[in-house]
Amino acid sequence: MGAPSWDDFADLALKRLAASGAEYGDIRIVHSTTQTIRGEDRRIASIRDNDDVGFGVRVLYHGGWGFAASSILSHEEVPRVTELAIDIARGSASIAVEKVVLAREPVHRDRVVTPVRIDPFTVPLRQKTELLLATMELLQAQSGVVRSSAGLWVCRDHKLFASIEGTRLEFDLLASSGDYTATALHEGRFASRSFNTPQLRRGYELIEEADFLGQAPRVAREAVEKVRAPSVEAGLYDLVLDPEHLSLTMHESCGHPSELDRALGYEANYAGTSFLTTDKLGTFRYGSPHVNLVADNTEPETLAATGYDDDGVACQKWDIVREGLFVGYCTNREVAPRIGAARSRGSNRADGWGTVPIVRIANIGLEPGRATLDQLIGDVKRGIYIEGHGSYSIDQRRYNFQFGGDAFWLIENGRRTHMLRDVIYHGITPEFWNSCDGVADRSHRQRYGFITCGKGQPGQSGWMTHAASHARFRNIQVIRGEGRS
Amino acid sequence: MTATGAKPWPKMTGREEFHFIAELVMKCSTADHTQVTLHDQDGGTTRFANNQIIQNVNTRRGNVAVTVAFGARQGTATTTDFTAGSLRETVKRAEAIARVSPEDPEYLPPAGPQAYHPCPTARSETVKAGPAVRLEYANEAIGQCRMENMSAAGIVSSSRATVGVAADSGLLAFEERTEARFSITVQAGDATGWASAAHRSIDRLKVQERTLSAIHKATLGAEPHELPPGCYRVILEPAAVAGLWSWIIWMLDAKSYLKGTSPFAGKLKKRILDKRLSLENCPGQADLLGVGFTAEGLPSTTSQWIHQGVLQQLVYDRFTAQAQQIPTIPTIEAPRLSVEGAAASSLAQLIKSTDRAVLVTNFWYLRPVNPTDLTLTGMTRDGTFLVEKGEIVSAVKNFRFHESPLHAFQRVEAWTSPMEAVTSETGKMLVPAVVLPEFHFSSVTRF
Repeated sequence: MGAPSWDDFADLALKRLAASGAEYGDIRIVHSTTQTIRGEDRRIASIRDNDDVGFGVRVLYHGGWGFAASSILSHEEVPRVTELAIDIARGSASIAVEKVVLAREPVHRDRVVTPVRIDPFTVPLRQKTELLLATMELLQAQSGVVRSSAGLWVCRDHKLFASIEGTRLEFDLLASSGDYTATALHEGRFASRSFNTPQLRRGYELIEEADFLGQAPRVAREAVEKVRAPSVEAGLYDLVLDPEHLSLTMHESCGHPSELDRALGYEANYAGTSFLTTDKLGTFRYGSPHVNLVADNTEPETLAATGYDDDGVACQKWDIVREGLFVGYCTNREVAPRIGAARSRGSNRADGWGTVPIVRIANIGLEPGRATLDQLIGDVKRGIYIEGHGSYSIDQRRYNFQFGGDAFWLIENGRRTHMLRDVIYHGITPEFWNSCDGVADRSHRQRYGFITCGKGQPGQSGWMTHAASHARFRNIQVIRGEGRS
Repeated sequence: MTATGAKPWPKMTGREEFHFIAELVMKCSTADHTQVTLHDQDGGTTRFANNQIIQNVNTRRGNVAVTVAFGARQGTATTTDFTAGSLRETVKRAEAIARVSPEDPEYLPPAGPQAYHPCPTARSETVKAGPAVRLEYANEAIGQCRMENMSAAGIVSSSRATVGVAADSGLLAFEERTEARFSITVQAGDATGWASAAHRSIDRLKVQERTLSAIHKATLGAEPHELPPGCYRVILEPAAVAGLWSWIIWMLDAKSYLKGTSPFAGKLKKRILDKRLSLENCPGQADLLGVGFTAEGLPSTTSQWIHQGVLQQLVYDRFTAQAQQIPTIPTIEAPRLSVEGAAASSLAQLIKSTDRAVLVTNFWYLRPVNPTDLTLTGMTRDGTFLVEKGEIVSAVKNFRFHESPLHAFQRVEAWTSPMEAVTSETGKMLVPAVVLPEFHFSSVTRF
């Protein structure tokens, strides 16, 4: 008799789940392989190859949840963990007042594979480390740059999802990214400028097409220019935000508040709740008519486009904000019925075999408008053009936010002039999005991903991609990000 | 609940088994240096919201990491599979990486044998606790909130872990660690109150006491007034102090200091804060979450970090420590902050002796704004109040702050003795509640 297959383990768990009297149960078996290379100050500081295998069993018994998981994938451990999950669910059910009822979902049988041109695990390690070393050399060749860092990251997830409803899904998913940073020092101040490839479900072609090395001299120059730039004067400015910067603004001020579990109070003790309460669905003016925020978990290469979520629900595309009106949430099978939805939006994801899936932000993107970047800037008398990510913070209901950025340029009389430093802007989410009066066209659209979106207790990392074209916001409060302003 | 608690737990990797794993790895390694790290954990979390259990989980996760080096070329591979075949394969993967890695000019072979001080890292009551105990505590907190017609959200978690580090240099460290956590956010209409605990012993979570404290905060939080942004005298509760001080600790990296990219650049052995403030590391303190050794197998140290306001230490990697001729690398995983002089007997006493101030329960989403002067931003959360003439007179809407702790802690007006503090964004610390004369709030939110 040969070694048991994943299907054998899944069947072992599902038989016990079916026999337990549970109304729902599933098993996820996951093998994650991650390679992380980190460089620091012209040296390769670490190369790490993680191999992580395990399984998690989820049970809904008489309206109460249970979940148990283990990194020991064996004929003895699968039944033990399954029984433990059932037992835990019975405990939850014993004190449940309001029973969980899942939205219906058709049975799926499918295999999802990330199409890649160059498998990053087959690219010689030497080629990767030489790229990072050459990048750091270029960064530190710039006078004024005192530190550098650079990294490459690739991850492959083999996953089997099987439920007692009959859904059985196989996944072979891959994602990659690369990044680097130059830090410049001037008169006791220091400042950094970064380059990030988008994190996408693509192979090593992502790195090859990113002009990774070619951008390094510009990034180094801009780090020095930034640290030597005049500090911003506090006041009201028009802001023109680039797609990378907007990915974070959208993530924090639209993505999180549109998670229905937050709106229902599930995250009240940690990540927080949401000002987008269910009474606002379909009636709340979230932004100006220029603002169309669409969740699209079907767009190829994006991080949340995995075919199906960890409820076994097929990925979908839907509106979150249509012409400024709040019209949709990110949901899973548990919370969707709470707003009268017949079907989940398919946004339930766990960050590994050892964690239970929770509602995560979808691939929410800002739909393109009709302007060009030059037109957006051309119509600004006194403003700031912002690229990339910097400091960010937002309250637990997602009203009051504050963002920095990676690089800032003063706009005067329709022209982008010199760099600024220490730019911080803050506002109240719906007021900010209602001040949007222009979005650039599709030719400006870029995608940026997140793999460290924190939520849940125990904490989990969510993965999603946010696409946008440049957008303009009028009369935003800017403060100086140093000392007291 | 059924009798889950009575079932035998999966056997954790013990000291002898770790020795066996380490020896097997070292035997099959052809590298010049080999180091093995074990982390084997079993634990779970019962999570509740809206007075309901929303998540109830238990996870067993074992991980072995193998780091090898040929000369100064190194590589690391990890596995969750502890079988002999998998461990051999992991060594091969690490060797394959190391063989093609560039030489690391900062590489150092693993440390040699070390002497470790015993550290109270494990408690038997936490080892024995399982889903049934966690559910019982969660139900207790929910019940108290239901009685007050309030809504509870929170967690009860417990875990046990075995951790080991071994190397062919003779380095060998192993210990068992337990940890339990409780946190609760109580909602009363639009108002919230919060409390949190972490301890090696699940019996020391004080679930009832902390739930009552959160209920009290939520009761006081009704109908908040809006105060304008600006500079205020503040009373910071221990959790708020821990939030600010965590960033001071995280920014103490020696390499950044030496390169000039640290907010502390040029300030070692100089006064950086109020001269009555001292920060020390206390790995043996039973109310902290100290450990016996670091991830590299170096012993944790009892050490002074800030003494009477003067910066005494930096956080060193081994290479930088050697280059700077630091013989013993100080550690800071169990911090205790104290203020010299007569302390108020309690937070209530601190409030009573304050004429006018904003009382802050906790901060949330703290992030650096300017790394040069360590200006931070963040929001107040789950209990912000106006104190006048020694009494809480109203709740106030939450503020965003824009402040450097290096500025705010230049003068501490009044304080308590150090108390337990842990938040969702910080590790556990012992810190006092303090009164600071000036703290800058830059904007106000809607609630």
